[in-house]
Amino acid sequence: MLRRTTVALAGSVTVLALLATACGGGTDQGASPAGKTGDVTFWSFVKGSDEVAKAFNRSHPDIKVKFETVPSGQEYYSKLTNAVKAGTAPDVAVVEYPNLPEFASQGKIEDLSGSLGPLVKDRFPKATRQLVDLGGKTWGVPRDAAPLMMMYRKDFFKQHKIGVPKTWNAYRTMTEKVKKADPDARGGVLYTDNPGLLTALSWQAGGQWFKAGKDSWKATVDDGPSKKVAGYWGDLAGKDLVRSLSTLDPFWTSVQKSETVAYVCASWCAGAHQATVPDQKGKWAVAPVPTWDGKPASGMYGGSSFVIPKGSDNSGAAAEFIKWITTDPEGMKAWVKSGTSSMFPADPKLVPVTKKAYGTEYFGGQDVYAVGADSYKSIPSGWTWGPVMGTTNTAIVDELPKVAEGKADLPEVLSDAERTTVEHMRQRGMKVTAP
Amino acid sequence: MTQSSTIDPEAPAAASPPASAPAPRPAKCRRSPKPPSVLLSKAGVTALLGLATLYTLLPLTWLLLSSTKSREDLFGTNGFALGDEIHLAENLDQLFAADGGVYLRWVINTVEYAGIGALLASLFSVAAGYAFDKLAFPGKERLFSLVLLGVMVPGTAMAIPLYLLAAEAGVVNTFWSVFVPGLVFPFGVYLARVFSAAYVPDEVLEAARMDGAGEFKTFCRIALPMMAPGFVTIFLFQFTQIWNSFFLPLVMLSDKELYPVNLGLYVWYSSALSQGHPEDYLLAVVGSLVSVVPLIVVFLMLQRFWKSGMTAGAVK
Repeated sequence: MLRRTTVALAGSVTVLALLATACGGGTDQGASPAGKTGDVTFWSFVKGSDEVAKAFNRSHPDIKVKFETVPSGQEYYSKLTNAVKAGTAPDVAVVEYPNLPEFASQGKIEDLSGSLGPLVKDRFPKATRQLVDLGGKTWGVPRDAAPLMMMYRKDFFKQHKIGVPKTWNAYRTMTEKVKKADPDARGGVLYTDNPGLLTALSWQAGGQWFKAGKDSWKATVDDGPSKKVAGYWGDLAGKDLVRSLSTLDPFWTSVQKSETVAYVCASWCAGAHQATVPDQKGKWAVAPVPTWDGKPASGMYGGSSFVIPKGSDNSGAAAEFIKWITTDPEGMKAWVKSGTSSMFPADPKLVPVTKKAYGTEYFGGQDVYAVGADSYKSIPSGWTWGPVMGTTNTAIVDELPKVAEGKADLPEVLSDAERTTVEHMRQRGMKVTAP
Repeated sequence: MTQSSTIDPEAPAAASPPASAPAPRPAKCRRSPKPPSVLLSKAGVTALLGLATLYTLLPLTWLLLSSTKSREDLFGTNGFALGDEIHLAENLDQLFAADGGVYLRWVINTVEYAGIGALLASLFSVAAGYAFDKLAFPGKERLFSLVLLGVMVPGTAMAIPLYLLAAEAGVVNTFWSVFVPGLVFPFGVYLARVFSAAYVPDEVLEAARMDGAGEFKTFCRIALPMMAPGFVTIFLFQFTQIWNSFFLPLVMLSDKELYPVNLGLYVWYSSALSQGHPEDYLLAVVGSLVSVVPLIVVFLMLQRFWKSGMTAGAVK
């Protein structure tokens, strides 16, 4: 069977090679020295990327950045992986934090320790730095952080005399009160298509899913704090105190219909929220995310960094571009030019830039960035994403829709995800220890 | 709607073969032909077809209704109800104006990839199939089994090898990287051989040759017109296949100006809600509706050929 397929592949492949050669037209650009001039191709799906490229080109006449929109999600990462394999990768690409270790450990991106390492060390807090440093080397430069916060309907809470919860215990009481006040309304969501929030809450509780050693990994997806968090949310979902919804239109429909009156999200959600549900202006407010012991603590749900894929032929200019879009006030200004992005810069010094650009009318003049800044400060350090997060996430996501029906036990889902992850890592030839 | 809902009075007897096993006289107790099971009765078949129709039409209904809604109504009203106002015209305006009118570019690209691609692919397939059927040349059957092997390999599995090849040839992120793979259609060659056997009698070719027509002229003037229904069938198959192909353009293309419409819609859809520009979500919905229209038009226009092609060789 294998041989037959190979023959067929070889056959069709030859045909295509002939055709492709016939159609000719090489687009190879000659390799240029690693100076800080020339063309830079830039792949991103992040809002504002086109504006950033334009602004950079205006202020840097020697470098010409060519921006190309790519889809987001797993499709993008397989596209990028294949591009590196084929030697057609861009010079700069966006990679979300959870996916960075996978690219780094497979040697698909360039080690930036020499060029941008000092910048990363200088500008970013430890918890953020640990997301792009791996094995003592720097692989990417953070753009935005995504500290947790809570969104809630001011009007609903006031009308039904519900207090803003500061602890997870109080949060639970809040969801009970919300359901009692309006049987159609809920005070939270367990997302069924994205484990990111659950992960961030494990991080907040002090969980550490992965640890990278010198030449081995440690996987503890179901450590104590994570199990506690999973048990808590599984229970809320099972008792129908929070809704189980996909992050896409089902969630936003529930917000639009006033069926979701509070939810935990990250800093960027504020902008997404006001853009998606514009007619609820003035009804929402932002609060610090509840914690287990009442002391401030947080985690990250989202966030992105920029990398130089292996095979880039202009890494000098690429590094210059990355530096500008992540740590230069002008670059940061270009990201948030639209005025509706509540992106939280990973470099704390740039918070005033984004804060100034963001209109606060939607949240009734509330200082969303102050809440974000406090949250950012309280993110515990030591969190590392795993080298096969795609596998880990899929293992969790597949079970999430079953949690509310009681067909899956959330803490156990974590244990299963750890097993699947460790298996996959070993298949890839990594050394893993898991308790 | 399950089989267990059978209400056949003779069912117990029919359902217990062991009891009647020693008696090899089935004809005797059979007054009339055994009544078909409920699933195969007229009402059953109609109901099943009705379900299938619903299954096919419900997503389209949602798409049609959602396309007429404003963004607030899209999230605020039931998916199968009308919104408060009809916003279809505004939505279409926005769709064709978004990102400097890139949507129209995507549609034109898709028509080029799928339309021209499928046209050429059908021509090549019909010519090859005809050659396999009518001409004798060394290694014919061996070559044909290679074609059959090509049928077995799913298109998605080919995307990565094709990509690596295209990178080698330096055509990644060009029109040709998506267009050229669409020209190869092994299943079409196989079909064309069957069609050629069914539609083109050897006698006609012999007559043409006697009258002095060369091989090429015989094919173009005699065989090709006779195989027209087959040509259209192959065209439609390949047209939908290219129209729906997603993974190949995804890996090959990164220039937005070259995207086919489905990839463009996916870019809008995938980052709309997570990146906080929900207007793209509505655009993706409206864009999906518009992108269905050409397919429907092509199918309606070519329906007659398509139908005659489907039953080709049924009676022979």
